[in-house]
Amino acid sequence: MANIKVSSQSLDFHYGTFHALHQVDLDFEEHQVTALIGPSGCGKSTYLRCINRMNDLIPGARVSGQLTLEGEDIYASGVDVVSLRRRVGMVFQKPNPFPKTIYENVAYGLRVNGVKDKRVLDESVESSLRGAALWDEAKDRLEASALGLSGGQQQRLCIARALAVRPEVLLMDEPASALDPIATQKIEDLIHELKRDLTIIIVTHSMQQAARVSDRTAFFYLGKLIEEGDTRTIFTHPRNKQTEDYITGRFG
Amino acid sequence: MQQQRIHFTQKLEELRMQLIRMAALAEKAVADATRAYLENDTDLAESVVMNDTVINDTEDTIDAFNLELLALDQPMACDLRFIIGSMRLTVNLERIGDECVNLAHRTLFLSTRSPLPPNARMERLCAHVQEMLAKAIRSFVDEDTALASQICSMDHTADELCLKVLKEAISTMVDETRIVERSVHVIMASRHLERIGDLATNLAEAVIFIKEGQNVKHRCKG
Repeated sequence: MANIKVSSQSLDFHYGTFHALHQVDLDFEEHQVTALIGPSGCGKSTYLRCINRMNDLIPGARVSGQLTLEGEDIYASGVDVVSLRRRVGMVFQKPNPFPKTIYENVAYGLRVNGVKDKRVLDESVESSLRGAALWDEAKDRLEASALGLSGGQQQRLCIARALAVRPEVLLMDEPASALDPIATQKIEDLIHELKRDLTIIIVTHSMQQAARVSDRTAFFYLGKLIEEGDTRTIFTHPRNKQTEDYITGRFG
Repeated sequence: MQQQRIHFTQKLEELRMQLIRMAALAEKAVADATRAYLENDTDLAESVVMNDTVINDTEDTIDAFNLELLALDQPMACDLRFIIGSMRLTVNLERIGDECVNLAHRTLFLSTRSPLPPNARMERLCAHVQEMLAKAIRSFVDEDTALASQICSMDHTADELCLKVLKEAISTMVDETRIVERSVHVIMASRHLERIGDLATNLAEAVIFIKEGQNVKHRCKG
C-alpha cells in the first residue's frame, strides 16, 4: 500500500469570519503529483498554503481539524515552522529570485540552516541546479545576478532554491502561469522528474496542465473538496456533475 | 451556475446534428436496401449504391470537424467522450452504408436470375436489423443507455437468424444443385444483414460510452 505523505482530516480554515475551507479530507501519496483545481476563490491555494503553514502570517487566520506530514500534526504546538518549511518547499506563481547571484540564491537556504562548508555548498548548488534542469544554462554564470535570467530560468532557479534544502514535499502554486509554452514545458518535464524523489502538490488553472502532469486531481469549489481521484478518471468520466461542468468549461 | 463556453457548446450541437443526419442517411440506406432485396427492386438497389457517396462524404465532413474540435478546443470529460464516441459512430454508420451497397449488389445479381421462393427468415432478418438500427439511433438522440443496452441483446437474434438462413440454404443446395449460385448470394445477403446488426450494436456501445464513460466493447452481449 502506498505511503501517505500528507493527509488532512476535517480541515477547516477561516480568514477572520470568512470560512475558506470546509471539512477537507484529502490524502497525498508519496512520489505522486496531485493537482488542485477549481475556480478562483475556491480555496485550493489556501489549502496549499496550510501545508507549510504559510497562512500563519495572515492576521485572523484560523485552522481546525488535522493536517499531518508523515503522520505528525503540522499544527501541533511546538512544531518548528522553519523546520517544517524545510521539509515542505514551495514555488510560487511569479518567479521570486532574491537580488543576489545565481549561486547565492540556491545556497541561501543552506546558509540559513548554518551550512558554511564551501565544498558542501558547491555540491549542493550544483545538484540542486541539475535537479531543476538549470545547471547547463547556469554553470558558467553562477556569480551573475539571478535577475538577469529569463522568466522560465528564474522559475527553475526558484525550484533549485527549494530543492537545495532537500524537501520531502514540494508545493507549487501555479508555477507556470507566467511562463511561455517552452518554459512551461520545461517545468512540466521537471515535475515528472522530481516526483521520483518528492511528493508534489500543484495548484493550476490550466486543465491541460493538470491532466499532463498529475497522477491525481482534486477539485475544490466554494471551499469544499468536491471530488478527488485518479487524474485519468477525473478528466475522462468524473463522478460529480460539478467537476464535469468545471473541467469542461461550463462553470460560471 | 451559468452556461459557459457558448461557442464550443454550439459546435458540439452542430456535431450532434451532423451525426443525426448521417444516422438518418444510414437508416434510409438499410430500409431501401432491404426493401430492394425483398421486392427485387433493381432501381431502388441502384439508388442505394449511388447514395452511398453521400454517407461517405458526411463521414469525411464529421471527421474533419472532430479533428478541429480536438485541436482547437481541447475537450475534456463528457465533451471528450462525445467527440471520441462520435468518431466511433461515424465509422460504424459508414460501414452500414457499405453493407447496404453489398446487399444491393446481391439484389442486382439475383435480379438477373429466376426468382427464388419467398424466404421468411430473410424477411425477419431484414426487419430485425432495421429495428436494431432504429433503436440504436434513438438511443443516441435520446441519450438513452437503457435502450442502447437492449440493442446489445438483440444482436444474438440477428446472429441466430443468419445461421438459420445459412443452414436452410445449404440443405436446399444439397437437394437442388440448380439454385446453388443464387443460394450463395442469399447466404452472402444474410451475412451483410448480420453485419448491419453488429454495426448497430457498435453504435449502441458508443452511446453507452458517451453517456456513461463505460467501454462495453466486446462485452456487450445478449
